[in-house]
Amino acid sequence: MYKRILSTVNEHLNSVITARYALHLAKACGARLYLCFVAEKGMSDADIEKAEDAMKRLFSDARDMDMQVESISATGRPVQEIRKIVREEKIDLVFVSARRADVRRRFYRATTASELMLKLPCSVALIRVVHMGRVNPRKILSPLKARIDNVPERAYFTAKMAEGFNSKVFVFHTPKPITRFFHGEIDLTPMEWDKRMPADVRDFMGHINKYSIDLEGRLAPGSVARTITVEAASKRHDLIIMGATGRSLLSSLLRGNPVEKVLRETPCDFIILKPRHKDDK
Amino acid sequence: MINNLSREEVFRFLATSEKGLSADEAGKRLIEFGLNEIKEVRRVPLYKRFIAQFTHFLAILLWLAAGLCFLSEYFNPGEGLLSLGIAIVVVIFINALFTFIQEYRTEKAVEALKKLLPFNVKVSRAGETREIRAEHLAPGDLIMLSEGDKVPADARVIESNGLTVNNAPLTGESASSQRSHEAYEGDYFESPNIVFAGTHIVSGSGRAVVFATGMATEFGKIAHLTGGVHERLSPLQKEIIRVTKIVAVIALTTGLFFFTLGFLVGRSFWHNFIFAVGIIIANVPEGLLPTVTLSLAMGSQRMAKKKALIKNLTSVETLGSVTVICTDKTGTLTQNKMEVQQVWTMITDVGARRAVPLQLMQTAYRCNNATFDNGKYKGDPTEAAILKAAREAIGDIKAERIHEMPFDSDRKRMTTVYKAGVGEKDHPPIPPLLRGGAGEGGFFIFTKGALETVLPLCTGILAGGTIGASHESHLQMTDDYKNSIMQTYHSMMDDGLRVIAFAFKEISEGPEIESRGTARRALTDIESGLVFAGLMGLEDPPRPEVPDAIRKCREAGIRVMMITGDAGRTAVAIARQIGLVRDNPVVIQGPEMNAMTDSSLREKLESDEIIFARMTPVNKMRVVTILEDEGERVAVTGDGVNDAPALKKANIGIAMGITGTDVAREAADMVLLDDNFASIVNAIEEGRTIFENIRKFITYIFAHLTPEAIPYILFSIFKIPLPLTVMQILAIDLGTETVPALALGIEAPETGIMKRPPRPRVSALIDRQLLFRSYIFLGLISTIGVLFAYFFVLFKGGWQWGTELPTNDPLTRQAATATFLGIVILQVGNVFACRSSKDSIFRLGFFSNRLVIIGIIAEIILSAFIIYHPVGNRIFGTAPLGIDVWMLLIPFSIVLLSAEEIRKWLSRKRMAA
Repeated sequence: MYKRILSTVNEHLNSVITARYALHLAKACGARLYLCFVAEKGMSDADIEKAEDAMKRLFSDARDMDMQVESISATGRPVQEIRKIVREEKIDLVFVSARRADVRRRFYRATTASELMLKLPCSVALIRVVHMGRVNPRKILSPLKARIDNVPERAYFTAKMAEGFNSKVFVFHTPKPITRFFHGEIDLTPMEWDKRMPADVRDFMGHINKYSIDLEGRLAPGSVARTITVEAASKRHDLIIMGATGRSLLSSLLRGNPVEKVLRETPCDFIILKPRHKDDK
Repeated sequence: MINNLSREEVFRFLATSEKGLSADEAGKRLIEFGLNEIKEVRRVPLYKRFIAQFTHFLAILLWLAAGLCFLSEYFNPGEGLLSLGIAIVVVIFINALFTFIQEYRTEKAVEALKKLLPFNVKVSRAGETREIRAEHLAPGDLIMLSEGDKVPADARVIESNGLTVNNAPLTGESASSQRSHEAYEGDYFESPNIVFAGTHIVSGSGRAVVFATGMATEFGKIAHLTGGVHERLSPLQKEIIRVTKIVAVIALTTGLFFFTLGFLVGRSFWHNFIFAVGIIIANVPEGLLPTVTLSLAMGSQRMAKKKALIKNLTSVETLGSVTVICTDKTGTLTQNKMEVQQVWTMITDVGARRAVPLQLMQTAYRCNNATFDNGKYKGDPTEAAILKAAREAIGDIKAERIHEMPFDSDRKRMTTVYKAGVGEKDHPPIPPLLRGGAGEGGFFIFTKGALETVLPLCTGILAGGTIGASHESHLQMTDDYKNSIMQTYHSMMDDGLRVIAFAFKEISEGPEIESRGTARRALTDIESGLVFAGLMGLEDPPRPEVPDAIRKCREAGIRVMMITGDAGRTAVAIARQIGLVRDNPVVIQGPEMNAMTDSSLREKLESDEIIFARMTPVNKMRVVTILEDEGERVAVTGDGVNDAPALKKANIGIAMGITGTDVAREAADMVLLDDNFASIVNAIEEGRTIFENIRKFITYIFAHLTPEAIPYILFSIFKIPLPLTVMQILAIDLGTETVPALALGIEAPETGIMKRPPRPRVSALIDRQLLFRSYIFLGLISTIGVLFAYFFVLFKGGWQWGTELPTNDPLTRQAATATFLGIVILQVGNVFACRSSKDSIFRLGFFSNRLVIIGIIAEIILSAFIIYHPVGNRIFGTAPLGIDVWMLLIPFSIVLLSAEEIRKWLSRKRMAA
């Protein structure tokens, strides 16, 4: 599915960690990896030097993993340049690191990360790095909502990431608590909840199973973002992979945006995948 | 994981170096990763929680009624709707306030967590060591650690010099553990090359590279879980919401029905409207929430007297519904007073206070960090008990300790080194312990610890000699000796003893101990070829009141599960002593549980007798979660920082008042002031009593809703003079009823309350039986008495059937006052009737609950004020009544009580049959 993967690299450490995720995924998919550095106008020499150092370290990592990596350097506005590269090189997936400044903005609007997610004509994985000790994530939490699109690509991405790190995937769904007017919240046992596993989630798990990945599924009702955060913290997950929200700005304002909330409070590294792969591509 | 990497790989991975980060790079990373601080997980702000009390279903209904009152006052001034509107708003505020008080609890657990992190930290920036604020640490920073420091962030050790940390805030284990800088292939959390935020350095020094800060640290995860665990509504809160909705629907339906009916019989809109509002007010038990809240507050005071401090009011009742108690062992089931119960050597089996195996006692005395000062033993309870036994056996001895390898949780042993022949005034030098042992200038090595770590170090054993001999010959350790030792060890464990092994040796040349760096290696060498001296079995005796409390739990259908860090055999032995287990219980050890799936653990949890041994706080949280998912109502005890999430997750989190940390106390719903398990059981009994008492005063309160509503309905259908005003209804609901209802809230426990199983999960506070007894049985008897007084006043005043009287007519006011007084007098009989649902008042005694008598006096005084004082008359629209009306009503009150006595008698007879 992914033949060419690109990871953006800059002077920040989190872009290096992001690129390491890309390296492992590329290895698992047998894809070609491009490391791309775009020097913005007015960037200091020290920062350019740091970015180049980062590139060198990543090349060294790639050598250790017995992988071939290409580097692309450009000057200009990152979004335009990366978009151009994506088109020219027919990139399938771009890894972008989310900066803390992006995350603090509501709906991470008007940030490079959001622009890349919206404007790139390929799938985008936005990475938020919060923990630098989990070099190889062993436990990947994959929270899913009841209705999801691009199931094959999401499953492929998650499975290959798990394969790349030899990790176990924990599919997690947080349904709304069941309530009755007079009785309020109705308590169901785990067995009863399991029977309510949505079809799309089952479909996703079916796809993951095809890749022979160690897998577990679980439902826990509650407030979506809070429940995911507590699950990740209590079960000591190393990485969360979620799909990008399908909610519009208005809908997010009215109903809230769980992805954004998890992004802010995540206790471990976090990937938001915006899948755009077309099978006929 | 970062623990797998070598020192160089760590630097490369985190893009840092021996010199640490530059100030510029550290600043950039700080911007990227944020401050190294523990943050409060976003919660619903207090003001929003308060506002929510004004926006639920019943509140909206009442707001609507108040709004219509104000509107009608605007269009039809002088109809008295302004005061009604104000009264409704007051009711909304009173209910909101009392519900908020019930739900309110201060959230300071995360604040307490913050205090465990240091303010300043030494860091290397571009090769220069400087002290900075701990919150300014960033991933990649190189920190300096030395004895007494608190660790500010999760960091990978790259240099260690006898570095020992205490991980108690994270693991709950009080023993310290050594850290090293070597790469480690095992589990990340067990890795000896990682120091975690919130822990502290016990000894030694070192350097470490920070890899996680703030909320990304393991300590931050505790904050995530403590602040983020979804707290469910308590059973009582759920029930009150349910009751409120039922009452609101009944009130609204009745109001709309009679509004339509009034419209059909040709009454005016405003007439119908006043009536509809009145019927709604009559159906809403305005005094219920304040009474429930005050009753819970009084219950919490009674619990405090029983050493159980309640932190939020609804927990008082939740305790009563508990089905499982997950309890710690040490200090809760036991006294936390260690005593040496058995001393064993291969020479022969001896009691603690009989003959003295000298070498064992010397080892016990010298390999010990407890002290005896001013007649008291101070230090770790186990060490203090060992010192006490040794001191009582061989008296005080002093000698020069030249080195120590402290106890740590990985090695599970400690070793001390003494110089032979060095004594002080009044304290003789250490004599040789072995025949041909070291003389002056020699050294003694003393080791104590877990048998599995001490025995492999022993090549010799003291055996076959004479007890009490000042020096002995030792024999070669053989497999037979080892088997004998293991048999004794298991037998002592089966007796519930914590077993400590002792060994020693004498050497003529001293170990290299001049510098700390060489000391470890040298001492590791000398911890070999030891002579096994013997075993000591220590016991933490069970609290004397615990077996009775366990029996009570069994009778009350409450399962008790012991969750302890101790070994399985010791846990089982204690459990047998206190009657917690009878047969062969299922014992689940921590490592075994870690490998279990949730479903297999769920199956194990169905066992009647189950004990969790070698548990960590993380395991405890898992057990609580699964039990709750299965529908159990769980009370869990805890004292450590890492217990906080489990305490928050459980239906009732119980922190230890004496040994508990601030974090645990802040996270808990209840604090045990004496750390005693029996106090939990007492509190559960109180909780069950409160649930029963709430049912009693609900019956009492609901019984007056019928005599409030029926006269109103008659007014609507038969056009009789207004029998009761809304203000009079409010005077009953919020005034005269309050103290008697509260008095029912403090009734003593009924017989057999702890001999019934916990109430089922689906059982309701208000069921059909209660509704029938209150609304129909007691309510209709009251209605008959009330209507009798009402018509008596009307007919006596010359009223004839069919004559319409204005609401401000003196006769109408008098008749309404008779209705009001009727409800009050009938409720006097009712309060005695409601003191028990099955026991006769003659068995309970009329004066056994003094607050009932005070309540009756209070309601009569208040009624007299409302009826006879001009101010009362003006506010409530009443008029004075003659004594004849009082005399007329008293027999009805007696009839009501008698009818209830007959019902109880029949009920008892049916139950006996």
